[in-house]
Amino acid sequence: MNFLTKINKLSKHHYNNSLEYKKIINDIYCKNFFANSLERVPFLPVNIFKEIDLKSIDNNDVFKILNSSGTTSTKQSRIFLDRENAKMQSKVLVRLVSNIIGNKRLPMIIIDERKTIQNSFNFNAKIAAYLGFSIFGSPITFLNKENEVDYENLNKFLIKFAEKPFLIFGFTFNAYLNFIKKIDIKKLKIKNFENGILIHGGGWKKLENKKISNKKFRELLKKKFNFKLIYNYYGLIEQTGSIFFESQKCGFFTTTEYSEILIRDKNLKVVPNGQKGFIQLLSLLPTSYPGHSILTEDYGEISNLKNCNCGSKKKHFKVYGRIPEAELRGCSDV
Amino acid sequence: MYEKKLKGVKFLVGNRNIASVSTDPYNRIICKFLVQISLELKKKKYNQYPDLLSLSFWCRKKNIERLKKNFAPNDIRKGRGLIFHVAPSNVPTNFIYSLIFGLLTGNSNIVKVPSKKFNQITIICEILNKLLKKKIFYNLKKLVSIVRFDKENYDAMAYLSNLCDVRIIWGGDNSINEIRKFPLNERSLELTFADRYSICLINSFELKKINQLELKTLVKNFYNDTYLFDQNACSSPHLLLWTGKFIKTSRKRFWLELNELLKKKYLLPDKAAFEKINKLFLDILNLKNIKFYEKYDSKICTIFLSKLDSKTDRLRGKWGYFYEYELKKLEYLKKIINKKYQTLTYFGIKKNILNSFVLSNVKGIDRVVPIGQASDINLKWDGFDINYFLTRVIDVK
Repeated sequence: MNFLTKINKLSKHHYNNSLEYKKIINDIYCKNFFANSLERVPFLPVNIFKEIDLKSIDNNDVFKILNSSGTTSTKQSRIFLDRENAKMQSKVLVRLVSNIIGNKRLPMIIIDERKTIQNSFNFNAKIAAYLGFSIFGSPITFLNKENEVDYENLNKFLIKFAEKPFLIFGFTFNAYLNFIKKIDIKKLKIKNFENGILIHGGGWKKLENKKISNKKFRELLKKKFNFKLIYNYYGLIEQTGSIFFESQKCGFFTTTEYSEILIRDKNLKVVPNGQKGFIQLLSLLPTSYPGHSILTEDYGEISNLKNCNCGSKKKHFKVYGRIPEAELRGCSDV
Repeated sequence: MYEKKLKGVKFLVGNRNIASVSTDPYNRIICKFLVQISLELKKKKYNQYPDLLSLSFWCRKKNIERLKKNFAPNDIRKGRGLIFHVAPSNVPTNFIYSLIFGLLTGNSNIVKVPSKKFNQITIICEILNKLLKKKIFYNLKKLVSIVRFDKENYDAMAYLSNLCDVRIIWGGDNSINEIRKFPLNERSLELTFADRYSICLINSFELKKINQLELKTLVKNFYNDTYLFDQNACSSPHLLLWTGKFIKTSRKRFWLELNELLKKKYLLPDKAAFEKINKLFLDILNLKNIKFYEKYDSKICTIFLSKLDSKTDRLRGKWGYFYEYELKKLEYLKKIINKKYQTLTYFGIKKNILNSFVLSNVKGIDRVVPIGQASDINLKWDGFDINYFLTRVIDVK
């Protein structure tokens, strides 16, 4: 079964199990959930998950509800998972991450503090990411304590593990804040991170504000710590498990056997490869909620290179960041 | 004493010696002052700001003279004293119109402008400061203060609210409720411009008759009521009502022509395009009275309703998102119009019919104007006769 067939099956499944999804298909997509090309697979705008509870399962089957972390707005996406969907997300995540770090669990540093995970009733995207990734780490330690770098703990870790491959996981801005800004290399007992694998994600918005590009970020890290492997990841909380890693060889993100990507313009038409537009992500993972085809508010572009030197035959794409807020004229208060 | 209460208040024009002054409305010096403002704004360097050009046009000599002529009270009227104006946060020139209303009616004024540093505000304050330095306008100095301070500066808000003789609040229900927490003194009045709902009435039979050029003009006028303000002015229509025959062909003609204009004139920010898509999906899920919807590229989205009700005034759009309805009888509107309804713009309907309509038992609507004049601000606004509201009457027998 190819991807299109599988995604069509999912559309049908959600049509039959979610009243809201059914209404959308009936009224906006003219009752057509079957697509004869990827472009015609119905999609939902990502922010709809912030306004409406969308699920294709009974209330009693809800195993976990994921909330997106509220950034600028107070509304959060609510994602409803049953046991099966949650299990599948983990399974696929393991498979995808193993492709880059191998099958063994590695010693891991999380760029945050223990308090963050312990104190939260709210199972949000941040926690989900930490817990999700923590399955790849053993043992796990935290870089920060009381908002500062925990040098004692960090040095203990480095002395013990830095001679072999180890993982560092966190959000891009935290990685920048700690590794580039805060950490005083003089205070480290081991200054060479050549065995460290840094995995970071979560958006470039804050770094864009400081005028730091991905390229600059990598340069700064390599220069200061001698990192050999830095992986940027991209993914939606609305499609957890469906994660994309930046290739070390070519710098693009690539799709996987579980995912597909399209780029659309303002008028929602699919644009040719090489043209910038809005990212639409398709994923085979969402089974308990109709999140298998989502139009995001991220800018991106699919590469039009015929053969990439990284060897992967999958679609290559770049992510350029979130669309900016719009200034409204008129006379209402703000 | 002022120092403490006006801490954190920045004066763009004027100073801490705020006076309550009551003088003659439309006096010679004030009128001269406004005409000077109009002339200053005509300078080439301000041409890139259409709202400054509109302002210049509005306070030109001819219009000020006309307004003066129209204010012909039968009794003695003087300004009420000090007016504390709170301007809305995203229309740059609103503050100056408010100030002008206050000055024309013979009052001293303190105007709180939005925190956002709009170029237009800076320019206008520069002009005000320049003119107030002139000998001829020396006496006007005490009538004009323009200030900026944080929403959280409760001391300043409390002090000015208590000090003023009239408080004018622009900027919607939320602002009004927040600011009303600060009491006025016993004799003061308040003028508030709350959230309003505006509609547009089009006779499709008449629309069918007009030629291409006339249609282009109509559509441009509609644009000025709506897209010019991202459809977010209180007088921008959200609901389009079609009456008469040939609705199907007329509305198609209308939207297509508007879309042509928008292609050339209107830039829709990406985020706005998404907001409209989100809104469409949500409306489809939430509304029970949708007949069908249409999109013209990303710039026009419109939902044709199967019925209206008391909740219709909640159906609002931004950036070019409309609701439509086939209105078989004008009478039917009476059932749904409430106090929130402000402006009714129209095309192809006789003025006397509309006149009878508003005179009959309609629970709202403060303005009925042809399409294109929705945002023409004047001293009769939102149901208030501002000339009379901002002056006090002195009875001498």
